[in-house]
Amino acid sequence: MTELGIVDIREIIRAIKSIYNYDFGNYALTSFKQRLERLIIRNNLSNAESLIKKLRDEPDFFDIFLHEISVPSTEMFRDPSLWRWLREDLLPSAIEKCVGQYKIWLPHCVSGGELFTLMIVLSELNLMDKVSIFASSISDKSLEIIREGQYDLKKIEVSTENYIRANGTAAFMDYYKLDRYYAFRDPALIANVEFNKLNISFDNAPTNIKLILFRNNLIYYNPGMQDRILSVLNNSLSATGHLIIGIKERITGVSSGKEFEITNEAESVYKKRIIG
Amino acid sequence: MSIMNYKAVIIGGSAGSFQVVTKILSSLPKTFPVPVMLCLHRLKHVRSGFVEALSLKSNIPIEEPYDKDQLKPGRAYLAPANYHLYIELANRVALSTEDVVNHSRPSIDLSLITAANAYREKLIGIILSGANKDGAFGLKKVHDCGGVTIVQDPNECEVKTMTTSALQLTKADFVYTTDQIIRFLQKIN
Repeated sequence: MTELGIVDIREIIRAIKSIYNYDFGNYALTSFKQRLERLIIRNNLSNAESLIKKLRDEPDFFDIFLHEISVPSTEMFRDPSLWRWLREDLLPSAIEKCVGQYKIWLPHCVSGGELFTLMIVLSELNLMDKVSIFASSISDKSLEIIREGQYDLKKIEVSTENYIRANGTAAFMDYYKLDRYYAFRDPALIANVEFNKLNISFDNAPTNIKLILFRNNLIYYNPGMQDRILSVLNNSLSATGHLIIGIKERITGVSSGKEFEITNEAESVYKKRIIG
Repeated sequence: MSIMNYKAVIIGGSAGSFQVVTKILSSLPKTFPVPVMLCLHRLKHVRSGFVEALSLKSNIPIEEPYDKDQLKPGRAYLAPANYHLYIELANRVALSTEDVVNHSRPSIDLSLITAANAYREKLIGIILSGANKDGAFGLKKVHDCGGVTIVQDPNECEVKTMTTSALQLTKADFVYTTDQIIRFLQKIN
């Protein structure tokens, strides 16, 4: 196994900054190191030097790098109790109260696990035509995989158990087809989703959003960057908007700590704090 | 004899380790001088109950840390359900939802590897009873970084696979019964 040292990681960060003007210096070091080591193995490279060479020589490879450095969602309907709450509590009442389309944003999609989960819930609630969904990714490769509906077969079993725990009203197997290597999820579910590519500083974010699903993404950044991202998300939210983060993520930043208040502690749901 | 200059203890376990961990936690002094990380296999979808059960008899407070929490001496940190528990530099926890390793999330290997990178020779790594080989590779990493490695005596384990796998890969510094592990930890100051 290739083990990267701190110096290697700094070299990689510096090279990417100089070639592509993307700054990975704010990523949490330990998980970034794990991702880089995995990426080196997956792409048949041997060390930091060969990775930097490939990034320099093959511009197309950078998009694959962005896809593989990002961590996909673990399985669909992760934290079934959150999805139960969304299904039975927040979504029906918030969408009913909403004047115009209820806008939902998923700022960092990698495998589409959260997106397809959300779309299944909305479809079972019969609320598909009352929502506008925005799904962003930092990589074209991620968007391609999501659009195709491709899904890791290994995750089907746990996803099915989660779906049942989340009070799904149909059979989970109705939502995908099996292939030899992958499951393919029903593309009809995401037919009306608006996809866009976001850069890693999140500076082209949509506005007037009612609900942001950003679970288990903050963990991959250092505290300073977490704070900056949360401020961007706060600006994206409408006055009554909600932000959902991972169960073991917390909003404690210098600025973001003042911008959000918690509304459902067990499921890590926050809402925008109205100042004044 | 006292054992000095260690900065952290990390314990990995799976099937059959709950009673052992409980006994260890109930025997540590209230002012245990370093943080104790616990990476124990658990059900992915059951978020609550585990800390509460471990806390019943523990002498030191136990928590499931949030991402980037600071580790403090005299406290135990249990890897939360469905997250990997990493040790980031500067004594902080980092959580991750990366793919399962050895069918496990939390993975003992990943916790041990990241702790070994953070604490080098100032880490004590302990592998307890369990039913798969998770932890073996991580314990080797602890050893390679100069840390102390302890494996629960397989003869005492409810399920031996984890400890025998660890011993196949690394010549542990100590193969100890639960009571010997406790006496060793009590000497840390």
